[in-house]
Amino acid sequence: MTELTISQVQMTFTNVSGISALLAFWAFVLGAIGKWKTKVYRVAEILILLGFVCLTAAIITRGIEANRFPLANLYESTLWFAWAIMGGYLLLVRRLGQNQLGWLAALFATMFFLYGSWLPGNQQVITPLVPALVSYWRQIHVPPLIISYALFCLSGLSSLVELWYAGHIRSLILAAVTIVLAGTAICLGTYTSIDTVWLQLLFVGSSIAGMFLAWRNLSHIATAKADQAKANVYDEISSKAISVGLPLLTFGIITGGLWANHAWGTYWSWDPKESMALVTWISYAAYIHLRVHHELSAERLSLVSIIGLILTLLTYLGFNSLGFGGLHSYGRFK
Amino acid sequence: MNGTQQLHNGEVVTSNKAIAENKSFFYFIDKINTWLVNSLSSVKLTIVLLSLLAVMVLLGAWCPQIPQGGPGKVVEQFGPQTADYLIKMGIADIFHSLAFLLLISFITVNIIFGSFRHVFPKLKLLKSPMPWLRAEQINKMPVHYQFESSLSPADCENNLARTLKRLGYSVCINGSQLTAESGKFGRLAPTVTHIGLLTLLAGVILSSWTGFSGFKGVCPGETLSFLDAEHSQLWLGKLPNWTVRVNETHREDYPSGEAKQWYSNLSVLDRNGKVQKTQTISVNEPLSYNGVDVYQSSWGLKTLKIRFNNDAKQLSLQSMGKLFAAFLPLPQNAVIIFSIRDAQAPLRIFAKREDWSSPKLLSQVPLGGQTDLGGVSLIYEGTVAQTGLQYKCDPGLPIVYLAFIFIIGGISLAAVPHRQVWAQLKESPSGNNNNQLVTIGGTTKKGKISFARQIENIMEKLKND
Ligand code: HEM
Repeated sequence: MTELTISQVQMTFTNVSGISALLAFWAFVLGAIGKWKTKVYRVAEILILLGFVCLTAAIITRGIEANRFPLANLYESTLWFAWAIMGGYLLLVRRLGQNQLGWLAALFATMFFLYGSWLPGNQQVITPLVPALVSYWRQIHVPPLIISYALFCLSGLSSLVELWYAGHIRSLILAAVTIVLAGTAICLGTYTSIDTVWLQLLFVGSSIAGMFLAWRNLSHIATAKADQAKANVYDEISSKAISVGLPLLTFGIITGGLWANHAWGTYWSWDPKESMALVTWISYAAYIHLRVHHELSAERLSLVSIIGLILTLLTYLGFNSLGFGGLHSYGRFK
Repeated sequence: MNGTQQLHNGEVVTSNKAIAENKSFFYFIDKINTWLVNSLSSVKLTIVLLSLLAVMVLLGAWCPQIPQGGPGKVVEQFGPQTADYLIKMGIADIFHSLAFLLLISFITVNIIFGSFRHVFPKLKLLKSPMPWLRAEQINKMPVHYQFESSLSPADCENNLARTLKRLGYSVCINGSQLTAESGKFGRLAPTVTHIGLLTLLAGVILSSWTGFSGFKGVCPGETLSFLDAEHSQLWLGKLPNWTVRVNETHREDYPSGEAKQWYSNLSVLDRNGKVQKTQTISVNEPLSYNGVDVYQSSWGLKTLKIRFNNDAKQLSLQSMGKLFAAFLPLPQNAVIIFSIRDAQAPLRIFAKREDWSSPKLLSQVPLGGQTDLGGVSLIYEGTVAQTGLQYKCDPGLPIVYLAFIFIIGGISLAAVPHRQVWAQLKESPSGNNNNQLVTIGGTTKKGKISFARQIENIMEKLKND
């Protein structure tokens, strides 16, 4: 019998976790259409829990294998992201007992597993750190950012469900298509060598057009689908995820500033990635002001949170895969 | 403010009395004043300004910025025509454009007015205690229940108080009435955040008026002086007259050959050249002296020292990925390329002619070694390293850090919901004298559904006890 290497252990944990997320997705789908709803949903949640535990183990073994904090390249960050999606779902959402978010969260986590495992090999291997990254600040600065991105995505997904229960089916479809197109642009940028100008155009064009149309179509309500009580629950989940995500994003941006000041002598240098994180931060600051001031209806707030999701994807993955540079270039492909 | 009054929501209105009495010039001044104050403090304006700011920062992230990468990067990314346009439009240096400056000023005014008008006054609410409410009033709360309990009044009330305390409420009891509150400090969120934002602005302004920063590549034996600090906009501060000498600098590699760390040994020299302090710095480990910090920010080999037939010659090296290279042009479109990985590695010498597809390796010489290049003797004497030092003096930094603490604290507080619960016990009207009629209700600003479920659970628990 050959000995199991730590690398194999890590891969096994990661694979089990990815498969659990995928199975959880199907379990949620079955629960929605099948007979034994509560039982199947229970199974789905256990699968998400299993995926979460295995991924925790995978991340820890990755750290042992690399002999450093396991968050230094894009592959590792996708693991953290999927981890935070599943953890955020279990911690924040499950208590309100919402299964419509479950399948979306499981689907999102699965897609990040796939995205991570299809990354080019040089993005996955454990490489030595460049001088700038050798610092304890790295583990303080990056995890809160990745976790906040995951929470913002959960919030956006919850907003999609809110639109569904509030009967805004047209807006929902438009918003969902927008997210899919944005994701497509990111994937094309990651895996193909299509000219980034076209991808930028695809991302920005579809986001602006899609969200504009979604906004315009809010007046269209399919009353047959409406269940306002449920819509309110998803609205609350959405804002809750933001109220936890925003302090984390703030903490991540600020500790990034402290690190930069410590390493380069300036806490802010308008690096593209930094600026993008600031854009995300500003848009959620706008969101909380819209919320406390009751300026917008729940549906409009949902769309704002979906815009936030798109900006989050742009900050986290889009900037590198759509061909932008900067200090934080751990995701440059071309 | 004569003739005007402030409503509970902070809006200022001009009273009818003032309109009737005072159709004078001052009335119009007052009216304009009112309008201006209301507009400048409005949260609608905040949203508009924040959206504009987001768009501008987004553009700045999308287009390479001249202060970071020079105009070359813009041209490289967009081609000369578009780049020219972007530079003319100010998008290639958006964070120093007039529009950006104006927007920031506008936001500052908005934050100041908004904070003093809407945010800070709310602090008063923190002091006011919860009123005692009767059952009829409790029944008007957004969440409310009425049920019968067979417990004795004292047991019932104690049970309820215990449950609420376990959920994090602080409870007050007055006879048959009860009030409970949790997360009151969550109401501090806007105040703390906005004090943080104002502090941040103050710190940044102080820095930009009194601080300086710069970058210089320095070879061992040379000194760094601050007199040519590039970004200095000294209104109030002055530049130091002491200097920093680089004694030694080297690079440490991973076994694979990639750079792991850069080190420079520095001495601070006072005006008379006396050493005041000596320290080895590396990335993440700066030298601090008299309020100025000196950082290790880059590293390279600057010159190549060789000897041709005993003639000493220095060639300047360029960084080419992991390697450094120097070029010596020869007649007939040929060039000799010297390539070296680090100060200890052997020097590799290539020849390249225009009609060759790739350079040819001519020779490899160890440090201090000699080789013969077509009748010319070449001795490799070594290299001179250059350390890239970034320096800065930032007097506003402590204030900025204080602001960071406030902002993180304030935004975290905003996640804490402020919940209030009232309850009253009465003898049951149903005739069963042992039973208590419990009225419980409450309200919250955030997380209404979680709150409603919490109250429902409390009720169920009390019913079943
Ligand atoms: C641009 C100028 C700004 C103005 C005029 C402004 C105004 C206000 C006002 C009036 C409130 C009180 C809401 C209420 O309690 O009813 C508020 C709350 C708040 N603001 Fe601002 N704001 C500004 C910028 C910002 C920014 C950039 C942030 C950063 C995130 C921020 C963070 C907050 C937070 C965390 C709250 C508390 C929200 C809550 O209680 O959930 N503000 N703001």
